[in-house]
Amino acid sequence: MSKPTDLVQGTLDLLILKILALQPLHGWAISRRLKTLSNDVLQVSEGSLYPALHKLEQEGWITAEWKTTENNRRAKFYSLTRHGRRQLESETASWITLSAAITQVVRLSEG
Amino acid sequence: MAMRVAHWWLTVPLRLRSLFSRRRVEREMDEEIRFHIEQKTEEGIAAGLAPDAARAAALRAFGGVAQQQEAIRDTRGLNWLTDFVADVRYAIRGLRRAGGLTVFVVLALALGIGLTAAAFSMLDSVVFRPYPVPQPERVLTLMSASRDNPFDSFSYREFRDIAAAARSFSGVAAATGLVTVGYAPDARTLPRVRGAMLVSGDYFRVLGVEPRIGRSFRPDEDQIPDRTPVVVLGRDFWKHEFAADPGVVGRTIRLNGREFTVVGVAPERFPGMNVFSNPDLYAPLAMANVLMPRPTGDFFEDRDDRRLVLRARLAPGAPVAAAKSEMAVIARGFERDHPESGGGRRAAAYTQVELRTRADDINWKFGVVFTVLALAVVLVACTNVAGLLLSRARARTREMAVRLALGAGRSRVIRMMLTESLVLALLGGAAGVGVGFVGIELLRTFSLPTELPSAVPFRMDVRVLGACLVLAVSSAFVFGLAPALQSLRTDIVSGLKEGEVGETGRRRMWGRNALVVAQVAISLTLVTVSFLMARSFAALVTENAAVPKDQLLMARFNPALVRYDLDRAQRFYAQLIERLAATPGVTGAALTRNPPLGLGNYDRIALIPDGFDLPPDRDHLTVPSDVVDEGYFATLGIAIRRGRGFRAADDTTAPRVAVVNEAFAARYWPGREAVGRLIHFERRGGEVVEVVGVAADVHREGLRKGTPFLYLPYAQRPASGMIVMVKTAGPPLEMTDALRGVVRGLDPDLPVSELRTYADLYRFALVDGPAIAIRLTGIMGGVALMLAIAGLYGLVAYNVSRRTREIGIRMAIGATPRDILELVTGQGLRLVAIGTVIGLALSLAVERLMKAALFQDAGVDPVAYLVVVPALAAVTLLAAWLPARRAARIAPTEALRCE
Repeated sequence: MSKPTDLVQGTLDLLILKILALQPLHGWAISRRLKTLSNDVLQVSEGSLYPALHKLEQEGWITAEWKTTENNRRAKFYSLTRHGRRQLESETASWITLSAAITQVVRLSEG
Repeated sequence: MAMRVAHWWLTVPLRLRSLFSRRRVEREMDEEIRFHIEQKTEEGIAAGLAPDAARAAALRAFGGVAQQQEAIRDTRGLNWLTDFVADVRYAIRGLRRAGGLTVFVVLALALGIGLTAAAFSMLDSVVFRPYPVPQPERVLTLMSASRDNPFDSFSYREFRDIAAAARSFSGVAAATGLVTVGYAPDARTLPRVRGAMLVSGDYFRVLGVEPRIGRSFRPDEDQIPDRTPVVVLGRDFWKHEFAADPGVVGRTIRLNGREFTVVGVAPERFPGMNVFSNPDLYAPLAMANVLMPRPTGDFFEDRDDRRLVLRARLAPGAPVAAAKSEMAVIARGFERDHPESGGGRRAAAYTQVELRTRADDINWKFGVVFTVLALAVVLVACTNVAGLLLSRARARTREMAVRLALGAGRSRVIRMMLTESLVLALLGGAAGVGVGFVGIELLRTFSLPTELPSAVPFRMDVRVLGACLVLAVSSAFVFGLAPALQSLRTDIVSGLKEGEVGETGRRRMWGRNALVVAQVAISLTLVTVSFLMARSFAALVTENAAVPKDQLLMARFNPALVRYDLDRAQRFYAQLIERLAATPGVTGAALTRNPPLGLGNYDRIALIPDGFDLPPDRDHLTVPSDVVDEGYFATLGIAIRRGRGFRAADDTTAPRVAVVNEAFAARYWPGREAVGRLIHFERRGGEVVEVVGVAADVHREGLRKGTPFLYLPYAQRPASGMIVMVKTAGPPLEMTDALRGVVRGLDPDLPVSELRTYADLYRFALVDGPAIAIRLTGIMGGVALMLAIAGLYGLVAYNVSRRTREIGIRMAIGATPRDILELVTGQGLRLVAIGTVIGLALSLAVERLMKAALFQDAGVDPVAYLVVVPALAAVTLLAAWLPARRAARIAPTEALRCE
């Protein structure tokens, strides 16, 4: 099993959904985008992106289509579905709640 | 995560697509990953790396292409399928190698599953098979109840009241039971007896049944008595009598001498609402005076003329509970408005299963008993198979260790083992369906000796096949789990080592011992129960020896079918008996409403025996009765113990008299003289009859042993439908022509039905039915016993082979063969002893239940135990002794070398 051990489980899903909400992309572009958007903080082994993508596709949250890239290469483009958008909303909401809670806890001044 | 379940309807198709277009998914996956690696490589080259180095870096960054592919396949649920296919292939190969084991296991399971299929087909047809109507679960049956009869019918007036009052139902329809009618296609043909059902005009509409051709009744056809003679033909009757002629609608047929117009034919999928009988014809209730003629009373007005069972369809949205409480309220209203119908009358609504598992019905009880016994056989088979597979698992310890050492997950190994069990179970299930076919054919040999349309509902259908499949799969888990879990305990290190694993664990043997104990216990119970059943039926037969069955001919008459009034019917019977008695070869003739063992019902009479203190909560008793003539007791050979039987002089001009049986006299006038006492009918101050004699007790079908019974003289209580019993000097069947001749001489139009020997009826009631039951339980007991013997033999033999070395050492240091024999047999003996004790307790419990349910008898039958227990102990001990003797003959030198 190759899971993104550095990430809280499920976070990778959220990030992928968020990135795809902006525009349909192929796997390679998603991995680039992940890197740049997070200022290289998020260290995901590039390969583990693909099981995650396939899982999201199986869940019906994203859908894939073969298209040609600007360099005239065939690539699998993923885009968000209606269900995916709803899932993104609910996951974003729960992420914000969770991170706010955690921030509050870690900022507690000791003593 | 919650979303996962919520949108399964979306994801299931996606997953199926992945499964079925596996090759495309694989290709696309490869292409996608290749694209990524190429991009990454180009990026590396652009950053100044050498092409080879760039590619290597790209692969490194990707984190193992094969692993990621495997992870993707996991998310797509592909591995599950490929693993399963591989496991099935592997299992089949393995089982083919172990041919003997496979054959034994499949055979054992097939016997168990097949017997269960037969038993379940019986239970299903008498209880669970839904009514053959749309939305059968919304159809309830309404029945009346009195203090003496919890499953009484309704009268026509009550039906009208309920139909008008009930709000929980969208419709309430009424139907009679099967009514015998004289049917003739036209006026020239002799009428024959057929079974009709009188139904209310909306019967088919309420049930939601559309006729196959023609139409069902219109409401106006059931409104005015005697006005509209119309009829809907039953499915089978239409096929047999009219060769499925679609032009039958509009034709006229004759029923009881009146012309009826055929308006429709019941559809193919509607054989009728009852389990054992399918009506030949349906007619509106309004024709009751023609089709159910009664000498007195008015069917449409008499509140106590109870002949209707009501079927009601729940209104949309109305719950069953609401309908039930509404019925209770309506019944209370009846009690208030019509106190003359007797107090304590209730009404209830039953669902299909509630109706068919009534306390007074015996068919479902047999179904349950057989199904439970058959499941016990399956259990024995499963324990046996589990034992075999456990031994096999031990022999495969090394294989399992290798698998685990190579990195197989434990859950993966369990899955493999269970797949193997599943393959075995499905093979057994398939063979079991074959066994079930044979079993169901055996059940189908059962047939009612009646000319009314009867149906044997047992059959191998989708429901029974489904039950077989469920049973096979669940038995796979029952017998597959133990060996699968055992494989989990494999210690890799010792497992990989050469040779026998030092398995001293008592714990491990404990499981197998328990299996053998269970087998002995269950098979003992099964054999005992079948033995008990045989003996209980045999006891019934001896009880009935009171009525000599040979040289008796019987025939049923109903002169009302040819429109005789009661006087004419009475004259007919008087002449019939007279002429029969004068026929050479006839030594006696008699009239009865329903002979002992007869298929009809006994009229229950409300009465108060003079001088008997009634229980405080009741104002009368009800006692089953028969109307017989003066020749009855002599012709049937029923002894008169005290007083006298009936005489020709006991007619309407003479004082009213009755004869009671011994049980009646003993119950109501214990220790006192019964002859000369009075019985009040209905209530004190009602009609009074004097007891003139006490007759010997005779067992009667459907009545408990020792039930009080009352005989009334025909001359004082004439009825239209009677059965004539003829005692013959020679073989009774030689007299059938003579009997027909006598009847033809009196009235050529009068149908003679159920002309047969009394021995036929006797055979049906006491031989055929019981024989099937005895044979079925006997087979179950036999199969279970065989399996238990095989299991015990296997266990002891296995132990001997496992302990060969130990036995060798023991003999080398001085143990005699006798010691060895005792050592090895001792273990088998203990298991048999424990199993026997448990089996004995189980048998006693089952005996009580079974006898209470099926034979209305509470006693323990010690003979059965005295025969079965020692016989079983002897046989099982032999199974343990044989391998032990072989152990005792082992030469120590050989045994020590055996490894």
